[in-house]
Amino acid sequence: MPRNDRRRLASIFRPDRALAKVSPERGLDGLNLFVANIQTGFGPFIAVYLTTRGWTQGEIGLALTVGTVAAMASQIPAGALVDAIGSKAAVALFSLLAFAASALLFALLPVPLFVYLAEILHGFSSCTLGPAIAALSLLIAGQRKLGPRLGRNARFAAIGNGVGAALMGLCGYSLSVRAVFFLTAALILPALLPLVPLRRVSLTPHASHTQATAEAPEMAGQAVRLLMTPALVVFGLCVMLFMLGNAAMLPLASTTLTKRATGTAPLLIAACIVLPQLVVAGLSPAFGQLAEQRGRRLVMLIGFAALPARGALLSIITDPYAIVLIQILDGLSGAAIGVLVPLVASDIAGRSGHYNLSLGAIGFVIGIGAACSTTLGGWAADSFGDPAAFAGMAAVGAAAALLVWAAMPETRDWVGEPSGEPLDRRLVATRPSVRSASMKEPGQPTT
Amino acid sequence: VKRRASWRLIGVAIAAIALAAHAPAQGPPATQKAALTNSTDTPHPKNLVPLDTKDTMGVLGKKVIAPSGDDLGLIVDVVADAAGHPRAAVIDFGGFLGVGSRKIAVDWNLLHFAPTDRNRPVLLNLDRAEIQAAPEYKTDSDQVKMVGAPPLSPPAAPDAPK
Repeated sequence: MPRNDRRRLASIFRPDRALAKVSPERGLDGLNLFVANIQTGFGPFIAVYLTTRGWTQGEIGLALTVGTVAAMASQIPAGALVDAIGSKAAVALFSLLAFAASALLFALLPVPLFVYLAEILHGFSSCTLGPAIAALSLLIAGQRKLGPRLGRNARFAAIGNGVGAALMGLCGYSLSVRAVFFLTAALILPALLPLVPLRRVSLTPHASHTQATAEAPEMAGQAVRLLMTPALVVFGLCVMLFMLGNAAMLPLASTTLTKRATGTAPLLIAACIVLPQLVVAGLSPAFGQLAEQRGRRLVMLIGFAALPARGALLSIITDPYAIVLIQILDGLSGAAIGVLVPLVASDIAGRSGHYNLSLGAIGFVIGIGAACSTTLGGWAADSFGDPAAFAGMAAVGAAAALLVWAAMPETRDWVGEPSGEPLDRRLVATRPSVRSASMKEPGQPTT
Repeated sequence: VKRRASWRLIGVAIAAIALAAHAPAQGPPATQKAALTNSTDTPHPKNLVPLDTKDTMGVLGKKVIAPSGDDLGLIVDVVADAAGHPRAAVIDFGGFLGVGSRKIAVDWNLLHFAPTDRNRPVLLNLDRAEIQAAPEYKTDSDQVKMVGAPPLSPPAAPDAPK
């Protein structure tokens, strides 16, 4: 079957033979860059776009809720699906195509039915794309060099985010909001190119095939046991608490800027978004190295401690330019989270065959934390004022940092078995016909 | 299983692309809302009254500018009283890419529409500085406030927007 896959992919990619000579590492760089580029413009523009199409606030709220629910509901099934599909490059390919379809649906058919469909398509494909990139990274770098690799991923993703925000903003203001969706769809094309050098990597059997003779119910039981691993549960709680304090902070800081700064507010808000991305781009590789040399706990503590500091500063400082500078701390947290989520998940689940499932589970709790954060943050700001809301978020962040310090185990040498060899080389031998009925399910909801 | 899952994904992607490609055939779904107000009943009601598009316009989603030409945001809601007269417009003000914008209610009488030129933004006789610090418009609050006419200036004449 791998050969079959190869032939199919080769026929898709034939025009770009030159690209096939690019190293997989470079390919992964490019994929991170362009995927982040695409994802940036999408979310925030939807509300503005639908408003210009005469949608009421209630209708827009419903459409966004459909998207959120779809993304949340597909996190875990999508993770399991990615685990079950051998070719991660194919997963990335179809996720990107679904992205393009979603962007075109928004641009061409802004009526509720198709907007809901586009939201669902977008929600599901973002849940398959992230894990696919993480799995490709694990295959290319191997367990022992994953930290630096993820640091590099985060650097390129941050550059993509920054450039994407600038590009989409420019497009939205100078052309039309609708053009942003066409631009997003067009940006899928360059994002497909890095898949060419990656397709060979993805063809090697992945970790799950070491569990040669596992039956379907056994696989499911194993997955549940894995998700119940104390370290993974603690990590999930930590990042959920972190997101609870973190997610509402930028929007709230931005509304404060809108209230205070005359005329320059949109520019300052743009700076609040782009500056942390620059910090992430600069710091991520160092954080990846640090996580490999000094352990995950240290990096986690640095990133988590930045949140209460940011909340405390925002609650006492009101100068617009100072607010932008405080956002540097957001970059610190962002770099740590961006490197650590896929890294800790790989420490715990990297060789179990359920890596993407565990990433999906972490994505799920992050989503819950973020959703609650926006609601709680908005409520706190309305009832107690902005400074109190920032202080509250700082307190939640402090609790998250304390939880890391008190309960999070070091996962660097979790499985033992040190080996510098990339996974693909070690696992290439066995490719049994493991199959499980339960793994098939997640494919259904997309139809 | 792998293969079938992949093919299912292909199917979904192709279906989605086909759907998207079909879009232009269905025509631009531009002003369905405006059309709805014209014909809520059966196909051909007797009581049809002309609604001149030269004299009227839909307002949801229209861009609002200050006399200085500053972009003030989009109209996202209209607040009406029991008699059906509009009292305020809710504007989604400020922000970047939809981040950090605030919903602010402004006195309906301060808005000036130009139905003859659909591309011209709605003019609001207030400056950016006069509305940016206003409280956010919230329907669930008891004390909702809108921004009225500036206290000292004479009621500004509806001069031609720039």
